[in-house]
Amino acid sequence: MAKIIKHQYFFSHPIETVWEYLTNSELMGQWLMKNDFEPVVGHEFQFRTGGKANLNFDGIFYCKVLEIDPLKKLAYSWNCGPGEGKITLESVVTWQLEAKENGTEVFLDHRGFNQEENLDMYHGLMHGWLEKFQNIEKLLNPAKDGNTNA
Amino acid sequence: MLLSEDSLTINSLADNFDMSRPAVSKHVKILETAGFISIKDLGRERYCTLKKDGFDELKAWLNYFDQFWASKLKNLETLLNKKLPN
Repeated sequence: MAKIIKHQYFFSHPIETVWEYLTNSELMGQWLMKNDFEPVVGHEFQFRTGGKANLNFDGIFYCKVLEIDPLKKLAYSWNCGPGEGKITLESVVTWQLEAKENGTEVFLDHRGFNQEENLDMYHGLMHGWLEKFQNIEKLLNPAKDGNTNA
Repeated sequence: MLLSEDSLTINSLADNFDMSRPAVSKHVKILETAGFISIKDLGRERYCTLKKDGFDELKAWLNYFDQFWASKLKNLETLLNKKLPN
């Protein structure tokens, strides 16, 4: 099963206008969802919509700005869950814009879609590797830990 | 794919692969941890079954977001056309 959602959409408006509607919190609220977005890399924000019980979703998307390249590219994480800040689905939304003669071509890419069970495994793996690297570091720097076996 | 039709024991699964039984067992364990299959002990055998829940839920999410974006992009177009006539 393909775990990528892609949409391509042409707007007969200049790229500056489209970019403005993709990155201005108030304007985004008019067509997407209410939010506290700021066009700053690392900024954490939320989109709020109605909950979906059948999807175990409380109506809040927890996001973080990952990349901004003005008039070209915008990416943010897009995580959600059943409530109280618990995350059971992680994904990433990326917008790319291309100026055309009579308007703007917009490419939307929504991917990742790691679910809770997979997240547990993924984080477990990450933790495992971190531990290994720490072990290696310890082995390489025995003096730092006061282990003077020499 | 072998598990899509019915449940199989780890031994019978192993017969389908050019891998040792312990190696197959290890892969099965990983798939179980990831929530893709479930393992049941029946007598002396361990039976593996594909867990469809995980797949179905993800599919529901993908369908939801696909329609979500289609309608939001339409919103944006309507909004742009209304506010900023060419």
